[in-house]
Formats: sequence, structure tokens, C-alpha cells
Amino acid sequence: MEKILSAIAEPNRLNIIELLRDGPCTVGEIAEHLRLRQPQVSKHLRVLCEAKLVEVHPMANRRIYKLHVQGLKEIDSWLDSFRHLWEDRLDQLDDYLKELQRKEKDE
Amino acid sequence: MSEKNAANRLNSYVNGKKLVLERMFEAPRELVFKTFSESEHLANWWGPTGWTTENKSFDFKPGGVWHFCMTCEDKNQKDFYGQKSWGKVTYHEIIAPEKIVYTDTFSDEEGNVSSNAPKQLITINFEEQSGKTKLIIQSQFESEEALKAVIEMGLKEGMASQFNDLDEYLKQLSN
Repeated sequence: MEKILSAIAEPNRLNIIELLRDGPCTVGEIAEHLRLRQPQVSKHLRVLCEAKLVEVHPMANRRIYKLHVQGLKEIDSWLDSFRHLWEDRLDQLDDYLKELQRKEKDE
Repeated sequence: MSEKNAANRLNSYVNGKKLVLERMFEAPRELVFKTFSESEHLANWWGPTGWTTENKSFDFKPGGVWHFCMTCEDKNQKDFYGQKSWGKVTYHEIIAPEKIVYTDTFSDEEGNVSSNAPKQLITINFEEQSGKTKLIIQSQFESEEALKAVIEMGLKEGMASQFNDLDEYLKQLSN
């Protein structure tokens, strides 16, 4: 998860992800759209691929980049697990507060 | 858990770079605050279901640290059963009985935090509402853009069309 967060914390890389939402692209297309140099785009794509946010499909002599479901799902489940942890924890707190108040009454 | 009703449900939403969780408790604010500010109380409810919490140190003041260990005692949680998880909370701001700001992270037994452990800055507000208490928990992620990206991508519905797009694109290329 750490890898994913740091991968998308960089504004250019986030722009690449947003561009790929509209459809798969080649390095050249990404460079043109975002007005970046190709080697720079390639470097960012490498980081995004490592974080499993983007995947590459070789197509004849071209390489097409597209969003990768795995990394995106990981972000989603990470947010979910955080929500669940608190949900569970606050259920425990709710029960505990009821118990405390019952005891208070009894005393 | 049978006493739940809709009003007590957890409400969660994203506000800018924060994930916000809200929930009402049928207890006075002073008491709810106490369950966060006193060592014995915290240990009694903090761990998730089936996990017990043991406090190694507890210093409830700005700059103070709460170092604790959660242990899974529930045999039904197969892989987790017997596992220990050390946590470290560092308090930044405390206004009794209204507000607590702290950083939450994983640590080891000695309280060392590894540099790549995820850290979350948590702000908890306690709002009094005619004898009840509304807890507002805001979690700020380290990377503002990261969270924004997740939301903007509209994960669930966005992916299906993404695949169609690729199919279309590949067709175009091969023509």
C-alpha cells in the first residue's frame, strides 16, 4: 500500500493515471498530452507498473499502457479495511459505554 | 451488537483529504471522553472484536505517548489467533472533553516505529447533543493527492468501461 500511495503522490504520475482513465495510451501519446519528455514518462510509468497501478500490453512494435485493476482494488480495500476497523472499534465502545452506564446506575 | 439501530450507525464520507467517520453514542460527553483519556478504559474497548489490549505505557498529554499491544484471543479468527500487534499513539493536542489530535502508527515491542510504517493523523471531536455524544473522527492521509485520486477514479464503476476501451483500442490498432 505504501508503494501505491507514494506512486500516486507525484503530480505527473497522478496526471498519467487520470489520462489513462480515458483509455489506453502509448508512451508517446502520454508525453504529448502531458507535455513531458518521453524518458520522463517512461520513468513514471515504471513506478506506476511496479505499484501495479498501470500495466503494459505489447502490440506489434508498440507498447500500450492501461490502468491495472489490482492496484486500484488494493486502494479500495485499504480504505474499506480502515473503515471496518473503526466500525468494529466503535461497536466495542458503544457496548462498553452501555456497560459503564449500567454499572453506574446499579451503584 | 443486537441493540444497534439506524441512528447509531457509522456514517463515513470523504471531505477533501480527510476520511470522516461519525457516530452517535447514548452517553454524556464527559463519560465518552473518559473512555479515550484513561488507560484502563481504553484497554477495555480499543482492540477490535476478539482482540485484547494491554498498555505498556500511557501518557495522556500533548507530546505524550500511548504504547500498547493488541492480542487476538479469538480462535475463530484462525490466522490471526495468537497474533500480537504493537501500536503507538502520539498525542498532539488535547482539549478535555472536546477534542483529541494524535498520530497512530504500528511499532515494535520497544516502541520503535519503522520509517515506512503507515501513519495517520487522527482528530477526534466530541460533540454534546442533548445528553448524547457525537464522535467525529477525521483521518488525514499522508498523501492528499493519493486520496483524491482514489475518489476521482470512481473505482468500482470506472473499471468495466476501462476494459471496453482497451478492446476497442486494440481492435483499432490491428485494423
